[in-house]
Amino acid sequence: MGKVLVICEKPTAAERIAEALDERGKPRAFREMAVPYFVARLGKLEFTVVSALGHLFTLTQSRGSWTYPVFDIQWVPAYTVNKESRTKNFVEAIGKLSSGAEEYISACDYDVEGSLIAYTILRYICGEESLKRARRMKFSTLTKRDLQKAYEEKMPTLDFSMIYAGKARHEADFLFGINLSRALTLSVKHATGYYKTLSIGRVQGPTLNFIKEREEEIRTFVPEPYWVIDAETTIEGKKYPLEYSELRIPTKSQAEDIVEGCRGAEGTVTEINSKSLTQAPPAPFNLGDLQREVYSLFRYSPRVALNAAEQLYLGALISYPRTSSQRIPPSIDIKGILNGLAQEPDYRGMTEKLLSRPSLRPLQGGKDDPAHPAIHPTGNLPEKKLTQVQLRLFDLVVRRFMASLSDSAVLKSVRADVNVNGHLFYIRGRQTEYPGWMEFYGLYLRREEVVLPQMKVGQRIPVSKLEAVEKFTSAPPRFNPSSLLKLMEDAEIGTKATRTEIIDTLFKRGYVAGESIDMTDLGFAIVETIGKYCPAILSIEMTRDLERDMELIQLEQRGADDVVAEAAAALKPILEEFKAKEKLIGVELNAALRESQFKENTLGPCPSCRTGVIRIVRNRSTGKRFAGCSNYANGCRTSYPLPQAGKIEPTKRSCPVCGAPIIKAFIRGRRFMTFCINFDCPSKKNRREERGAAVPHLQQAKSRE
Amino acid sequence: MEQQCPICNRRRAENEPLCAYHQRAYLNLREKYDQWKTALGVSWDEYLREVADNPNTGEWVREVAQHILQREGAQGLSQPHSS
Repeated sequence: MGKVLVICEKPTAAERIAEALDERGKPRAFREMAVPYFVARLGKLEFTVVSALGHLFTLTQSRGSWTYPVFDIQWVPAYTVNKESRTKNFVEAIGKLSSGAEEYISACDYDVEGSLIAYTILRYICGEESLKRARRMKFSTLTKRDLQKAYEEKMPTLDFSMIYAGKARHEADFLFGINLSRALTLSVKHATGYYKTLSIGRVQGPTLNFIKEREEEIRTFVPEPYWVIDAETTIEGKKYPLEYSELRIPTKSQAEDIVEGCRGAEGTVTEINSKSLTQAPPAPFNLGDLQREVYSLFRYSPRVALNAAEQLYLGALISYPRTSSQRIPPSIDIKGILNGLAQEPDYRGMTEKLLSRPSLRPLQGGKDDPAHPAIHPTGNLPEKKLTQVQLRLFDLVVRRFMASLSDSAVLKSVRADVNVNGHLFYIRGRQTEYPGWMEFYGLYLRREEVVLPQMKVGQRIPVSKLEAVEKFTSAPPRFNPSSLLKLMEDAEIGTKATRTEIIDTLFKRGYVAGESIDMTDLGFAIVETIGKYCPAILSIEMTRDLERDMELIQLEQRGADDVVAEAAAALKPILEEFKAKEKLIGVELNAALRESQFKENTLGPCPSCRTGVIRIVRNRSTGKRFAGCSNYANGCRTSYPLPQAGKIEPTKRSCPVCGAPIIKAFIRGRRFMTFCINFDCPSKKNRREERGAAVPHLQQAKSRE
Repeated sequence: MEQQCPICNRRRAENEPLCAYHQRAYLNLREKYDQWKTALGVSWDEYLREVADNPNTGEWVREVAQHILQREGAQGLSQPHSS
């Protein structure tokens, strides 16, 4: 019996693939060194289906110490670099299971990462020879039907163009990341002896620069005053806003003149215009669109949305989510998907409507992806309970897919022009004439219908409210994780697979903070320093050119080794310049690091002495932390106990009752808490009495004497 | 001796009264004064107070406005000539 080793990316996928390949649909499950694997049979073939755990191999420097520049790199098992990595068993188990294999199949996710995962396993565990006997299964969903089809139509070789593009991306990113991050970290260490991990990368640099530019715009913003006319009319007992024809009035006197001119006067309807607009259905989701919609509707971060989408994919409920495509190709069995979804009572009515149409043609968006179609449901329904995030995402994907199959909506807008003593106002109405796709996606639309009463030209209407309201212009909004993702997409930096992680890293390093992304002093210092000494790292052109080179590798128009060599050549002069100015850079960064640490530890003004600040202090003998006034040396003894576990963040707010700082406490596995640090604050007294007992870990505020 | 910004202690150029960030905020502040004057007929000091109290004002602009108000004009940070 011929033995075939099938390599998958994740254990759940391995089980589904084994089920699809086994002729009875019941593969046998085993464990080798605690690594699950499955044995499936099909005719004379025996498949050993085993999974990786993401990347089992990673890059490291070939030789030398912890310094820079580093240009000699090699692929090694991930567990030899990251001691916490759980991949050792996987490497050894796959080594044993591959013994005697006559053929190999890469059944990892069909993208550069998946292809590279299988390639490194084959090359470094199964040996170079295995690459010649390996084939590639291509699929976009983990349904039995698609997997069987992918096996039948498997590629005769591995997808080398994708592998080489992935390999080149990893190697170029590693060279940039390791060299620049070491340069930053060592500059501080060599200048001051202080160690703090600092990092910057090829995509991180321009992304951080975007945030800095926006932050500067916000912090240097001067609001401008303007006025609006807030007016209303009442028709048949119902109020309608009267919109003044000029939306912004630049001076107070002009606004007051308008109000005076209209005071006490009636309005006359001079014209009524209505027009119908057709609104095409939305295209099915690609990953970026899905992440943005999920953030806008539910405020889930791109990372949370991606994780939930991946779980739905592994559950064979939706197609592969890491796609740029907004298109559903004709090969997809839309009818079959709708029939599957019809088993769910909530979707039955909608699927019946679609299935009764003579043809089912989805609206195709402008973006395409050669590897995968747009995200769509598979027609399977959840077999086990989904989390709330997963359930919301699933419903969103289903409804968006169905909406894309529907007609355009027809919306009617009405505008009545009203003359009030020579001043022009509008009454606006909007109604849905034909819902079309909105019937399927209406749940997720924020659209208000305004139905106007019957009106005619010459009709006189009262002005029931009239005043000039002063307003001020606002600065552009800070980025949120979703708008930053969009900007990166538009600027063509990073990939759909890496952007989410890059944003996460900026938070992890302390360069940015908050849901509305605010740049920290450390973030400013990093961009300023890099901008001053090696501005190329912040340049969008360099990283964008490299992204295009990766695409060319995939199209077999450029060699991967050439691209990596070019990246290294671009890096060399940057690092030489950095090294020459290392001390200067280190001193500057260190000042910013100390300043940011000072700010992180400052909780707010002292309510007792009013001149000092309350800071986080560690007791030298016990190591425990508490909050105390910076004026301790001058006699202020104000102090408060602090929770010993978790992270504490200042909120820049003081308690309105006792004046003590309000802090945010983050304890792993729990929701963060915001509270006044004064245990004796009168605002807490009632709550404590209600509970009838004191909170054990928060002791009473006491003097340090 | 290194020149420091009197507001944030960041380094400043020899000929500039403030660091690059606060200088940019100050230039914006000056540029927008005419608009405020036309719209509300306010004096320079009234304008600075209004801007410093406005919740839409950028952090660095507020710091510059407060700095000028506290230091009665602050050296090198003059009132723009009325156009």
